[in-house]
Amino acid sequence: MSSRAQLAASIIGLALFACQGRAHSAQSGYSAAGLYNLANAYARAGKPGMAVLNYERASLLAPNDPDIEANLRFVREPLQLPSESPNGFVRAATVASPTVLAWTGVAGLTILGLSLLAGQLHHGHRAMRRAVAVAGFTLIGLTVANGVVLWPRLHEAVVVTAEAAVRVSPVPMGDRLFVLPEAETVRLKAEHEGFVLVQTRDGRLGWVSRANIAPLVAFE
Amino acid sequence: MSKSRLRWIKLVAVLTASLATTHALAEAPLLRATIEPAQITVGESAQLTITTMGTGMEPPALPVVSGLEFRVIDRSRRVEIIRGATLATTTMVIRVTPQVAGTFTIPGITPKSQPLVLRVNPNNGIASASATPPLVAGGSTANGIRLTPDGSAFIRLTVPKREVYVGESVPLSIEVGMRAGFVTSLNGLPTLAGSDFTLNNLSRQPERDEKTIDGKPFTLLTWHSVLAAVKPGTYSLIVESPLTVRIRTAPPREAILEDQLGDPFMQRFFGAVVQKNIKVASPPIELTVVMLPVEGRPPDFSGAVGSFDIRGDLSSTTAAAGDPLTLRLHVTGSGNFDRVDSPMLEHVEQWKTYPPKSSFKSSDAIGYKGEKIFEQPIVASKPGAQTLPGLAFSYFDPATRRYETARSPPQRVTISPSAADSAPTPPGAGARSPGGLRADHLAPQAFASSLVPLYMQPRFLSIPSLLTLVFAGGWLRLRRRSADPLHGPSTRVRGSTKAANRVVAQLEEAARAGDTVRFVNTARAALQRTTAGDSDADGSDIPLLLALADEANYSGHAPASVDFAQWTQIVRRRMMGEKTS
Repeated sequence: MSSRAQLAASIIGLALFACQGRAHSAQSGYSAAGLYNLANAYARAGKPGMAVLNYERASLLAPNDPDIEANLRFVREPLQLPSESPNGFVRAATVASPTVLAWTGVAGLTILGLSLLAGQLHHGHRAMRRAVAVAGFTLIGLTVANGVVLWPRLHEAVVVTAEAAVRVSPVPMGDRLFVLPEAETVRLKAEHEGFVLVQTRDGRLGWVSRANIAPLVAFE
Repeated sequence: MSKSRLRWIKLVAVLTASLATTHALAEAPLLRATIEPAQITVGESAQLTITTMGTGMEPPALPVVSGLEFRVIDRSRRVEIIRGATLATTTMVIRVTPQVAGTFTIPGITPKSQPLVLRVNPNNGIASASATPPLVAGGSTANGIRLTPDGSAFIRLTVPKREVYVGESVPLSIEVGMRAGFVTSLNGLPTLAGSDFTLNNLSRQPERDEKTIDGKPFTLLTWHSVLAAVKPGTYSLIVESPLTVRIRTAPPREAILEDQLGDPFMQRFFGAVVQKNIKVASPPIELTVVMLPVEGRPPDFSGAVGSFDIRGDLSSTTAAAGDPLTLRLHVTGSGNFDRVDSPMLEHVEQWKTYPPKSSFKSSDAIGYKGEKIFEQPIVASKPGAQTLPGLAFSYFDPATRRYETARSPPQRVTISPSAADSAPTPPGAGARSPGGLRADHLAPQAFASSLVPLYMQPRFLSIPSLLTLVFAGGWLRLRRRSADPLHGPSTRVRGSTKAANRVVAQLEEAARAGDTVRFVNTARAALQRTTAGDSDADGSDIPLLLALADEANYSGHAPASVDFAQWTQIVRRRMMGEKTS
């Protein structure tokens, strides 16, 4: 078997392996529609914290979904919580779901690799080979940009109780610094003994009980 | 009636009377109470002796008289046999200490016994001493106080008891009397002399009063504090205070006049006065310090001595699992609150407990009375109706002379599941939502195993990693193959084009100049580099060119039959890799 045939067989095998893994985990995980509907149920039940949490989780799987964005704003506005408008880079980086962009990156890597191998085998069509390599780089860059945009959100949490006391130290008797309202989104910095060091949008730091917040992505 | 019969009747009568007397002695207890002396002054104590004869009688209760303090100082019991009958005598000695002057009537110990009268004369030294504390030091003077030799100041120490326990907090008052016009300054706060006792911080501002003692005006400053004994034994308690006084140097006769004038300016005008720093001390008070009993000491006893009561509460009776609750223990009363401590709850199943912290709120100026609150954060780990055990606090009560343990009732609390732990379960698609929310989506079709993006999951990352390795390996293999001379003629051709052009240019320049020697040498050098290792080189015209070059070099004459154009083409073709015929 030639080296080209071996390479093609390896790529096809890897793709089949990944597809089998996805199929195996299907029907037992998260879906954007399910999280969105769950958030709607929480919103109707008067639990804005849990509603915002599930809207945010749904937006991770389905970015730029207009229904999710609209309902998120609808829940946040009465609580006077700011809703951030994504800029052009964020919109471009989240043009598709992270799952689609993951396979896009794999495709870009494949195209780039094939263009490099073709350059070693044939010396003609140099401009075309360069165009293909740029396309591969672009697809890989799109995936990397999506990761850069989503990385901070993976370390965010939402206050799910009526109010959360932020303390100066990770113990229940620690002096209280301020209070976070329900549905406020905070960034997770560290964890210790059932307490999480959080940073608010305006940069304030403090420890809050883990029972008061729920992370967008479950604690590992 | 015969004489013998009369004797028998007398004998029976005597025996009957004797038995009746014996029965009366045995059955009817007698009680006798005396007080000595019956007349004392404020600051002294009288002794009340209660003697009980007989059995079957409960110990008499201490009488209660307003203005008198009763304290049992001795109990004794004696058993006698009188005419074959057992007679028990119990004696109780009680110290009676008046708090104010007056005539007191101590009611009878039993309804049939007579009341006792105690006359208490006032101390004449202080005119308005109606609120004099119970025990007054300085009884060595007629006025109950001990003035400095010049009569300018005094210190009076007041403690409520003479017998204290180690660690017990005893409130005391320190009264500094300064004669107006004679004491110019108080140079420091009163302090204890010796190290047998410790004194807490004095009250921040002393109480100020003006009194007339022996017809002379005095300014009284009174501090309150708490005294504690360090070790057992009998010690003298003395308080000192530094003062600056004015000493008169005028003759005593004139001093009488100055006293009558009263005004310091007038005194200074009539007599010479100098200032002097002195230290005034209180008359000693004998205090007996005893150790706390070891018998009956609870394991959780922390050293608290006093009279306390406790109450427990919880910040909320309902909470979610994981939410912190605050369990509080309120300890109120009087005593050494600095030794009041409680571990609260330490190990409770299904609860996580944290170390408590405490705060103290004093209800007086010296921290003797108040409330100490312990707050302990606790976190329920599981939902459901739960009961927290009651809290306990042990202390030693000097009034009852035994250890006491106060307990609070258990606390009931209902724990609901944590909101954060609610797993997201996809509901079915619903109708349009009211209240401005956009409608639910259709039932989900695609599921993701995790909210973490796929490209960040380790299992998926193996795919681009392997692809990268495969492509990198293939690219390196192809590159190495192209660099191999056996497999890469095209690369050699590309590399030799520039060199051939350069050599051809040199040959053409030599030809134009007619320099045959330079031409053949340049051509030979180029062909030698190009044909190194070429097996076909021997079968061509290369040897002819090499011979021409050798001829030119060794003979020193240029060959005449050199065709510059032909040899230039041969060299160019050879360097470009083309076969020559």
